[in-house]
Amino acid sequence: MDLSLETRQENGHTIIEVGGEIDVYTAPRLRDKITELVGNGEYHLVIDMEKVEFLDSTGLGVLVGGLKKVRAHDGSMRLICNQERLLKIFRITGLAKVFAIHGSQADALAER
Amino acid sequence: MQPGARPAATGTSTGVTVSIARDPALVRTVRLVAAAVARRTTRDEDFVEEIRLAVGEACALLVGPEAASLDTVGPVEVRMRLEDRLRVDVRAEGQVSVSDAPTGDIDGVEPWGLLRGLIEDFTITRDSVGTRLSMSWPLP
Repeated sequence: MDLSLETRQENGHTIIEVGGEIDVYTAPRLRDKITELVGNGEYHLVIDMEKVEFLDSTGLGVLVGGLKKVRAHDGSMRLICNQERLLKIFRITGLAKVFAIHGSQADALAER
Repeated sequence: MQPGARPAATGTSTGVTVSIARDPALVRTVRLVAAAVARRTTRDEDFVEEIRLAVGEACALLVGPEAASLDTVGPVEVRMRLEDRLRVDVRAEGQVSVSDAPTGDIDGVEPWGLLRGLIEDFTITRDSVGTRLSMSWPLP
């Protein structure tokens, strides 16, 4: 399955709902979307990964790059992920400690 | 896909060999083949997922930004064998760095960190012609 990206605004955050596979081929599209949002002054991002079916280190790199971009503007990037196979990838690479990972959109938006 | 760049799969006496052009769009094809080979074992879907991730990651590292230093446009060859263990070799012409650079092209993620953390038996070998990533997993 190819990558799908849908964005919407809620409670002062921009939610990007990502679906499909984030890999060496598709990750640049996610990178471009984050760059576009930050360029438009949207610095508080929530990446909803509930419909992500695959994630490799290229995708992780895009997420880390996005985090750096929003932090440069005192912004934030929160992840929504409940899938153990994806959480394992964040743990193995040490990125579980870098990102704020939430179990639902409600949790991600509730955090101050 | 470029003309002549179709994934080529070859059955061998002990496994499957897939050769792809160095095109990120083709890595997904290899992941699908890897998952199919893993399903031939009697292990569970978590194992299949691990093989899909590991083989996809290995290919990504040899076709993606980290492979920019490779001085060749030759193919990436993936050989999967079900023997005493599931053995996978991913090979490409040219040399890639076998150590994690502090500032990689993928924005701070150690390129080899995922594979090293994921697979107990993982080695990177460089010789005069290329780079080989070797991985294996025990079978019941």
